[in-house]
Amino acid sequence: MEEELKELVKQAESDILVCASYNDLLNIKAKYLGKKSVLNSLYAKMRDLPSEERPAFGNLINATRKNIEDLLEKQNKAIKEDAWKKSENRTAIDLTMPGIFSSRGGLHPLTIIRREIDEVFLGLGFEIAEGPDIDDDFHNFDALNTPPDHPSRNLADTFYLEGGGLLRTHTSTVQVRVMEKYPPPIKIISPGCCYRNDKPDPSHSPVFHQVEALVVDKDISLSDMKDMLSQFASIMFGKNVSSRIRPHFFPFTEPSAEMDISCVVCGGTGCRVCKYSGWIEMGGAGMVDPNVFDILGIDSEIYTGYAFGLGIERIAMLKYNIPDLRILYENDLRMLRQFKGELR
Amino acid sequence: MKISISWLAKYLEIKENTKELEELLTFSGIEVEAVQNIPALPETVFSAQVISAEPVPKTDHLKLCLVDIGNYPYPEKTPEGYLQVICGAPNCKTGMMAVIALPGSTLADITIKKAKIKGIESNGMLCSEKELGISDNHSGIIELEPDTPIGRSVNELYELPDTVFELEITPNRPDLLGYIGIARDLSAKLGRPLKLPEIDIPVAKCRAETMPLELINKVPELCPRYIARLFDKVKVKESPLWLKSALIKSGLRPINNLVDITNYVMLEYGHPLHCFDYEKLASLPDKPGIPAIVIRQAYKDEPITTLDGKNYILEGEEMVIADGIKPSAIAGIMGGNISAISENTKRIVLESAAFDPRSIRRTSYKLKISSDSSYRFERHLSECSAPDASLRASQFICELADAELCEVVYDNYPVPEKSLILGVRPSRYAKVIGYELEEEKIKDYLQRLGLKFLRYGIWKPGKITNISEIRELDSETLKQKNTALQNQEKAHYYLIPPKRVDLEREIDIIEEIARLDGYDKAPVKTKPQHIMDRHSYRIKKVAVDYLVSRGFYETLNYSFSEPELMRKLGYQESDYELDMIFLKNPQSSNQSAMRTSLIPQLLQNLAYNLNRDEKNIKLFELGKTYHRQETISYEPYYLAAILTGLNKDEHWQDKASPINVFWVKGIVEELLSLLHLENWTVQEAKKPYLSQSESAAYYLDNKELAYYGKLTAPVAENFDIDLIELKQDIWIVQFSMENLIVATHNLEIQYQEIPRLPSVIRDISFLISEEIPYSKIVKTIAEVDDKMITDIIAFDEYRGKQIPNGKRSLTLRLKIRDKEKTLTDERVDYLVDSVIKKLENTWKITMR
Repeated sequence: MEEELKELVKQAESDILVCASYNDLLNIKAKYLGKKSVLNSLYAKMRDLPSEERPAFGNLINATRKNIEDLLEKQNKAIKEDAWKKSENRTAIDLTMPGIFSSRGGLHPLTIIRREIDEVFLGLGFEIAEGPDIDDDFHNFDALNTPPDHPSRNLADTFYLEGGGLLRTHTSTVQVRVMEKYPPPIKIISPGCCYRNDKPDPSHSPVFHQVEALVVDKDISLSDMKDMLSQFASIMFGKNVSSRIRPHFFPFTEPSAEMDISCVVCGGTGCRVCKYSGWIEMGGAGMVDPNVFDILGIDSEIYTGYAFGLGIERIAMLKYNIPDLRILYENDLRMLRQFKGELR
Repeated sequence: MKISISWLAKYLEIKENTKELEELLTFSGIEVEAVQNIPALPETVFSAQVISAEPVPKTDHLKLCLVDIGNYPYPEKTPEGYLQVICGAPNCKTGMMAVIALPGSTLADITIKKAKIKGIESNGMLCSEKELGISDNHSGIIELEPDTPIGRSVNELYELPDTVFELEITPNRPDLLGYIGIARDLSAKLGRPLKLPEIDIPVAKCRAETMPLELINKVPELCPRYIARLFDKVKVKESPLWLKSALIKSGLRPINNLVDITNYVMLEYGHPLHCFDYEKLASLPDKPGIPAIVIRQAYKDEPITTLDGKNYILEGEEMVIADGIKPSAIAGIMGGNISAISENTKRIVLESAAFDPRSIRRTSYKLKISSDSSYRFERHLSECSAPDASLRASQFICELADAELCEVVYDNYPVPEKSLILGVRPSRYAKVIGYELEEEKIKDYLQRLGLKFLRYGIWKPGKITNISEIRELDSETLKQKNTALQNQEKAHYYLIPPKRVDLEREIDIIEEIARLDGYDKAPVKTKPQHIMDRHSYRIKKVAVDYLVSRGFYETLNYSFSEPELMRKLGYQESDYELDMIFLKNPQSSNQSAMRTSLIPQLLQNLAYNLNRDEKNIKLFELGKTYHRQETISYEPYYLAAILTGLNKDEHWQDKASPINVFWVKGIVEELLSLLHLENWTVQEAKKPYLSQSESAAYYLDNKELAYYGKLTAPVAENFDIDLIELKQDIWIVQFSMENLIVATHNLEIQYQEIPRLPSVIRDISFLISEEIPYSKIVKTIAEVDDKMITDIIAFDEYRGKQIPNGKRSLTLRLKIRDKEKTLTDERVDYLVDSVIKKLENTWKITMR
């Protein structure tokens, strides 16, 4: 009996080794281990044996069965591994050939900077407010405490429109509009297009972009403004960049200031960019003039506030080392492509 | 932890209803996770005696019972005056006191009816706890104490109605792991007195020498205190109903009077106790005859079998309570079975101890045993709550187990816990919490929590070991607080009750005050402003980012324009686009007006880049146009794009192809679909600069959302672009941002359940006349069954060889799904056949 079973295993092995697919293996399995197999019929025979011989006989059949199963599994593994190997190197591949890109485009550098500024201020708890480019004397000048004979109202400075109105010279107009509509507390930035009658040159453009910030609440001080400016400077330009303010004059702020940041190029030691001063002028700032509040019906005894304005073109030129403002408005693809990925 | 309100009311007068109490607890930091109402039962449910219980023949468990319901009137009593009831409970036996529910009684889930069981009349039901709705126990009927009078209402017996709260106790508050702790917190919150149980210590009748004990604490750092009291002549029996009922409502199963007492006191004081059978405690080899309790760490591989019959081999780090030879309990976690209380127990040792929480946690984790005891000890119980718990349990053991207390009390407490002194500054409270609270109120809250006020003094940071370090502020100095105390802060000093292991710093005290005064008292400083139009900001960003993802570069142009540019686009003088706002002082004639369209400048940008050898160009601008309105100008945003050349970068393998009308159309429709806009209609674009045949505009509610089209050669020429020479088409796309913003304003993205059943895909190919547009074919198919046909995909279009003139071949892929059931081939076939028939009838298609 034992010999017969050994022979059976041998026979099964030779059958199994020629199998080239899983299906072949299933057929062989049925042949040797299935219901109609020789092995299976032996189980039935066991009943006829004396009970003392049964365990040994049973063990023998089980061992045979296990042998065949192992052989099947081994061959199955071999078939799979063979298939995997084949699927791996079907053809020669030159991995140095170019990969497939998605042909993505890109944002304009001014938008990249604007989004960065939005993000910084949104993160600092500001909201973004917008207003019309075409505005009037009240919102652009009167409400901002600008005297009627102030030089900025000149045709040489401000674009006026046929049929009335003007093109805003700063986005402070939005601050006026927000204060007209919403009671304090107010914490906004107003980004947008501004217009001044300047001939285009490396640092001027009749159309440019600004972001202004306005904070109005109880207990807002110049110190809060300095705090915000230094936060903005260090987030926007790097943690080592500091800011300072110097006395200046604007009709709508009192006290007024110009703000500088330490030179992002030389770090303050002096270079061509900062004209060897170590500082770069960033924009105007100041505490909202009580007159502005009075005009807009906000109690200036209860509320104080600060405002500051930043030029987006200027920041972009500084960050990306762009020498001429006009480059930004040529929309040359060779310029635009340099800023793909929207990194700053 | 589960607490019943009727039990809680023993320690504190409760005037609130369930809802109010739930709020109170939750807002003082004890979250009520679940509320279980146990309603009152009808008066027809009461105690009764089973006079006889005889097995019903030919059934395996039913018993025919005669039940004495006393004088209670019931029409169908037996001649002897009893009630005949069939009962299937295994514990039903002659003579027992049980609970009967008469026919007509409505219980938790059922209404009892007179019934015939196996042909025998049954008038009512003997009830289990579950049937009464007071617990989940359904193992047998309720067995009342033998001396319960007949006719006592269950409401009286079980204190019904009642409410059980399931509380979430935060890990920092082990003091809340018992009824008294909860009551104390509520009493502090409500300013209502706390009623602590009065403990009558029984007279010790048992002489010390009759019950000697050797108590050795080898690990005082792990077991800082161990109190043992001994009792003789203990009678182990069932607990009285009030005790059982209390445990049941708190989710514990009554076992016997001793176990129930320790559980009851644990629930009451939050401090777990344990009872050992004194006579099962082996003595130490050198002290024969004297039972021993040795607190030590286990030896390596020491075995123990716990109360629940499980075997553990200890590793050697675990703290055990051993007798003279072997462990009798895993300290603070579970008792061993050898020394466990049995029916025959006569003399016991009552343990009330404090254990190191880390050790308990480690052992509980290692052995995977979590018990009510380990749950409490691993949260750090104070050594000072051990004596009260021990006393309280002693009182019950004498009362309810008829025991005699032994005169010797063992209290192993080598290093008594030092009480902590903490200062709290009212000024600091105002600074941290945001409002000032009257000093008297602060004092009041803290005293109610059990903190002992010591004195007013100047604030001294750091640890205070003795109150004498703090100079007392007399009333004179207090009055001068604006002068003498200007630069120094005043503080209250308190002695912290040891139970409050969570109070270690000033800030912890501040939290307590804020919690009790209510977080709602802290003022909100600024109300939120909503100045920003976040929706429009988001939609603009999504649109711009989409174009960038499709290969477009953004341009920015001046807002200036001139009428001539609009004429070049093909606009007439009468057109809206030529109604421009002019500048009074323009810098040049080509900047004389505000732009009314973004297209001319994009064309100029395109020409500029074409002149610089760029062939494949995709540009866009997001910008305003400017129009005169009555008082203020109208400045809508547009997103305009211009494109020409290849649809993507050239690649050796993934070939680029020239942009065609479907690529451009795809830009429009994909962005609309990203914005979840559907149901738009397509109309002629009617732009003077676009080819009539290859352009279209998308409308929703009569508002133009977008358009696309091919630039005409004459207009290109006007912008110095020679289309013939260029040999590629120029395409224009524009989105009306204002309309997109309005159209998406109420959009809500809601998750849709993912279909559980797979869909089936079928392709159909047919010839159809060129005159029939795809959109009509799709509509026809949808009409067949738009629920089951979830998607129709244009898979292939073919013209040419084998296809007759005036026809085209279309292959459509149908996705078919049934939400309810798996599709059979027959149903799919039937559906596809219907689609084909409908197409044949409507559009005269021929299947291929």
